[in-house]
Amino acid sequence: MKNSLRNLSVIFCFLTLVSCSSDDDFSYEVVLYDNPEVDLNIPEGFPEINSYAYNNISTKYGVELGKKLFNDKQLSADNTIACASCHMQENAFADHNAIGIGIEGRVGLRNAPPIQNMIFMQAYNWDGNKLELEEQPLVPIITYEEMDSSIVEVIEKIENDEEYVELFIKAFNGEGVTAEGIYNSIAQYEYTLISANSKYDKVKRKEGETFTESEALGYSVFQEKCMSCHNTELFTDQSYRNIGFPVNPSTEEGGRSRVTGELEDYLKFRVPSLRNIEYTAPYGSFGQFASLKEVLDYLSNGVLEADNLDSILKENNNKIPLTEVEKENLIAFMKTLSDEEFIN
Amino acid sequence: MKTIKNYFLLAIASLTIISCSDDDTPVANNVTLEFNNTFKGTPIVLGEEASTTATVNTSAMGQDHYFSELKYVISNIRLIKEDGTEIPYNVNNLDNGATVVNQSKEETLSYVLSEIPTDNYNQIKFGLGVKTDLNTLDEVSFPEFYASAGANDTEMHWEWGTGYRFTKIEGFYGADDSELSFHSGSTIEGEEGNYTQGVDAYRDIILDLPESANVGNSAPTIKIEADFDALLSGHTNTIELGEDNATPSVHSAANMELFVDNLGGNGSDDVTGMFSIISVEN
Ligand code: HEC
Ligand code: HEC
Repeated sequence: MKNSLRNLSVIFCFLTLVSCSSDDDFSYEVVLYDNPEVDLNIPEGFPEINSYAYNNISTKYGVELGKKLFNDKQLSADNTIACASCHMQENAFADHNAIGIGIEGRVGLRNAPPIQNMIFMQAYNWDGNKLELEEQPLVPIITYEEMDSSIVEVIEKIENDEEYVELFIKAFNGEGVTAEGIYNSIAQYEYTLISANSKYDKVKRKEGETFTESEALGYSVFQEKCMSCHNTELFTDQSYRNIGFPVNPSTEEGGRSRVTGELEDYLKFRVPSLRNIEYTAPYGSFGQFASLKEVLDYLSNGVLEADNLDSILKENNNKIPLTEVEKENLIAFMKTLSDEEFIN
Repeated sequence: MKTIKNYFLLAIASLTIISCSDDDTPVANNVTLEFNNTFKGTPIVLGEEASTTATVNTSAMGQDHYFSELKYVISNIRLIKEDGTEIPYNVNNLDNGATVVNQSKEETLSYVLSEIPTDNYNQIKFGLGVKTDLNTLDEVSFPEFYASAGANDTEMHWEWGTGYRFTKIEGFYGADDSELSFHSGSTIEGEEGNYTQGVDAYRDIILDLPESANVGNSAPTIKIEADFDALLSGHTNTIELGEDNATPSVHSAANMELFVDNLGGNGSDDVTGMFSIISVEN
């Protein structure tokens, strides 16, 4: 916003200059770009849209531009890593590495989460440190362990590429390549990544599919033992909780307390969505668990004690006890959250 | 922004008029801020682990400590005239109004404010850190400050928070040279006056000058002491380092605030933090 205002005033200055030097019949052309809004097909029953998204409506060319940037390795210092290198469509835009690996094999701090249904999330990242999706892309671009570049470096790489220039012009009403345009278009693209066509959705919408017996049994265990946190149609209530998972050995990790400064938030993480969970292994904030079975074994055997351990676990001897059959059924149910259309 | 600039221009313009009719006193001159980083008045010498030359300080809790790295950001500088008028110095332009003081780089220990209108000043205000509205790592608007703060030997970008590090101290403490690492920065989100989450680590410092800085024929130097004894033994908090808080930026920002209040004051009854004025040289 601030940037575009500034640009506007630059244009005005320019116009003033031009009009001064040219004498009487100064005229200019107003070009209107046909750039329709994209219909996001917001599914029924999903949580409320993040209000910042209303300031950055997805448009045809905005999304096209954002997708191109998302897949462009030029966003990294040595042109080897794109956003899509860590957020791969076949993994529901997550990663198969336990911890994100950036340029030159540099290892970061956390597991790359799937980029799905971002428009319904009120805060981003494991600790919720960003509230606007538009503010997120700069982080990987400049982080040493990720892309280790800078926004000016990125602009310099793409601003002479005709395809990019044309897309920026079409997407943002004639504005050239700007930092704001990069952030906004990437977010516009991400807003379109909505996953709501899993078997679970089709059963819910009564589109002819039904749960198998195992899936149905799994769903009832889930409702009883998991739903207090993995709630809503996103399977996260978007709260921050410590559930005693094995602790990241890096001293950089503080979980939610890194953001709020509250000791009581130490090692709390945003409850992850379980949509497409089949595709996003390994699991946990730094990929502690290779499989869903490992997650369930861990929860069932007992988690780490902590002062701020979630009361649901505290009241149950730091466990969510599950029989082997319940685990199998739960996994069968979680796999009904897989959306094949979304990953293809 | 605009009003400030206009005001500034007006001030200069009116001064010009006055000075035309006056003698040959310049309308403006430089003011140099000299930062002296000390432990209770003794200049800090940095040193690596087990260094025999590093300046060692002992905290109120009896813990020895010394630093291998010491950096902080100064911005939002304002000089206050004897009549109370505030002269802001490029407060909305990090390229021209902010600097990283780095104890290992002599040239960063002095910061020259140029074109300060001729007058007598008796107070200085500045920020330790970067105020929230400018703390966005906006390389497009402020490429020079972005580059100097982000240089490999400076490392004052806080990438995950998309802001600047305000203070970065590395060092050692205790009998066995345990690692001490302190990074501060803001995580605040939302609009000013309506913050939705996070910690504000920016601190506004207000220092009265013991004698006026007379800008005009002279270009005064204001010698400022930053007494890092305050880190552990400050006006606000007495801190004993241990496993929980020796790396306070990371374990929790709650710890971070204790240190921030010590260095930069708590914003209410302490507006000087570790800073004081040694002298003004006209
Ligand atoms: C090196 C691997 C890597 C690269 C490259 C990368 N990311 Fe990520 N991404 C991560 C990790 C790890 C996280 C989790 C960060 C955290 O929680 O602090 C993440 C988090 C995110 C999130 C938040 C998701 C959520 O659930 O809240 C979004 C959105 C995102 N990345 C988008 C991008 C975009 C856009 C780019 C390219 C500009 C990008 N990422 C490049 C690894 C990467
Ligand atoms: C008290 C709230 C709570 C309950 C109850 C709960 N979870 Fe979670 N779950 C979380 C949180 C928080 C995380 C992330 C923790 C972390 O990474 O440290 C998580 C992580 C997971 C993950 C890994 C997700 C990923 O993307 O890495 C899976 C799978 C999971 N939970 C499944 C379940 C199942 C199945 C149940 C019921 C048996 C359950 N959870 C019960 C809060 C809860």
